[in-house]
Amino acid sequence: MSTVTDLSNVRTGVEHANGLPNAHYIDPGVYAEERQAVLFDQWAGLAVASDVPEPGDAKPLEFLGMPLLLIRDKEGEVRVFQNICRHRGMILVEKPRKIEGAIRCPYHSWCYSTRGKLVSTPHVGGPGHNTHDAIRRDELGLNEVRSHIWRDVVWINVSGTAAPFEDVHADLIRRWSEFDLPLHHGGTDSTFELPVNTNWKLAVENYCESYHLPWVHPGLNSYSRLEDHYHIEKPDAYSGQGTMVYRQLTDEAGRKFPDFADVGAKWNEQAEYIAVYPNVLLGVHRDHAFAIILEPKGPEQTLEHVHLYYSVPDTDDALRARNTEQWKLVFEEDIFVVEGMQKGRHVQGFDGGRFSPVMDSPTHCFHAWVAGQVEAHRSTAKAAE
Amino acid sequence: MSDLDARLIAAHEAGDKPALVTLYTEAADVANDVDAACFYLTHAYVFALDAGHPAAATLHARLVAQGRES
Repeated sequence: MSTVTDLSNVRTGVEHANGLPNAHYIDPGVYAEERQAVLFDQWAGLAVASDVPEPGDAKPLEFLGMPLLLIRDKEGEVRVFQNICRHRGMILVEKPRKIEGAIRCPYHSWCYSTRGKLVSTPHVGGPGHNTHDAIRRDELGLNEVRSHIWRDVVWINVSGTAAPFEDVHADLIRRWSEFDLPLHHGGTDSTFELPVNTNWKLAVENYCESYHLPWVHPGLNSYSRLEDHYHIEKPDAYSGQGTMVYRQLTDEAGRKFPDFADVGAKWNEQAEYIAVYPNVLLGVHRDHAFAIILEPKGPEQTLEHVHLYYSVPDTDDALRARNTEQWKLVFEEDIFVVEGMQKGRHVQGFDGGRFSPVMDSPTHCFHAWVAGQVEAHRSTAKAAE
Repeated sequence: MSDLDARLIAAHEAGDKPALVTLYTEAADVANDVDAACFYLTHAYVFALDAGHPAAATLHARLVAQGRES
């Protein structure tokens, strides 16, 4: 029996609300409850399509303990399958590799196409007899996990019950329609991982608000002051912050990254940073973008996967490396904060904290969404009893 | 151990899938009866599928002809 937390004061107005109770950050039972309600039932970020750039590329992943297989099929479509054979549930692919022909189970060699179709069942009807009436191949393809690609992020809905991605995130897709342009991953020097001792939600909460910027990122103060930022809030979908004074990275020779074509003058000095609920943090600028996928590794561990993107496939190596370094520094500056808040969740009697009615509303927006999803999940579970 | 057995074991140890396709096909071709031949053909076919080997279509056809594959 999991802990049933009191969420009655989380969804009230920001002036009076408390944050989520401690158990939502440290309790394994609540973590399991949220896994279903807040991650599996939603469109959660799993990986990026650039992880499998070529047809046949396959990458095994674990998402909240569930083994999955990210693959680009022979036709070039990115798919996500349960990474297990339909025969005995054996793990199919252990390491990232190219699938030259079929996905062959290493146990009894049942074979699947890269589109998940079961194509061979050797000796299933006895030695040298590879068919059996009871084993209907058209019913035993790999179980595919519902997926959608947007801004190179592979979003999955494990339960299969969410509304279509384009409907859930119609507002955000429209908001950033000017950036609906090809994204070019910067390559191996434009991705890094940050293991953090925190519940994944604290990384979202910190990302949403600009309140902390002058204190935690003083380097930004010289050109990006608190008053130059604005809140972004779309209840039940996303929240974040924007800046009106984005300055492009420039090297000693005055070189900059090329802009995304036709992105519009509005974005000359404007940039936005949005947490797409539940676990993806996106940023857009006139000349580059990033995606951070927060991989929950347990109630108190998160692995942040960071990917940087550009408007063209070939950008200057040194400038790209500098940009990666700059963002890495910013994201590392946040670690002590999210780890410190995580430790703080072990103080008995902490009430979830309070929010600045003026500065913390994007974070409160996320808390309210989490609480709403958990409450809806509890109602469904209760109705089923 | 026959020479073919030894070469098969070596190919398995090396993970040499094209060689496994060739050697299991060879084993099928010299087998004494159709069941043994289909057993080896099955292995040749599976490794051909695994490797995306061009022999897969021919091996599949041979198994279908014997009523061993669909």
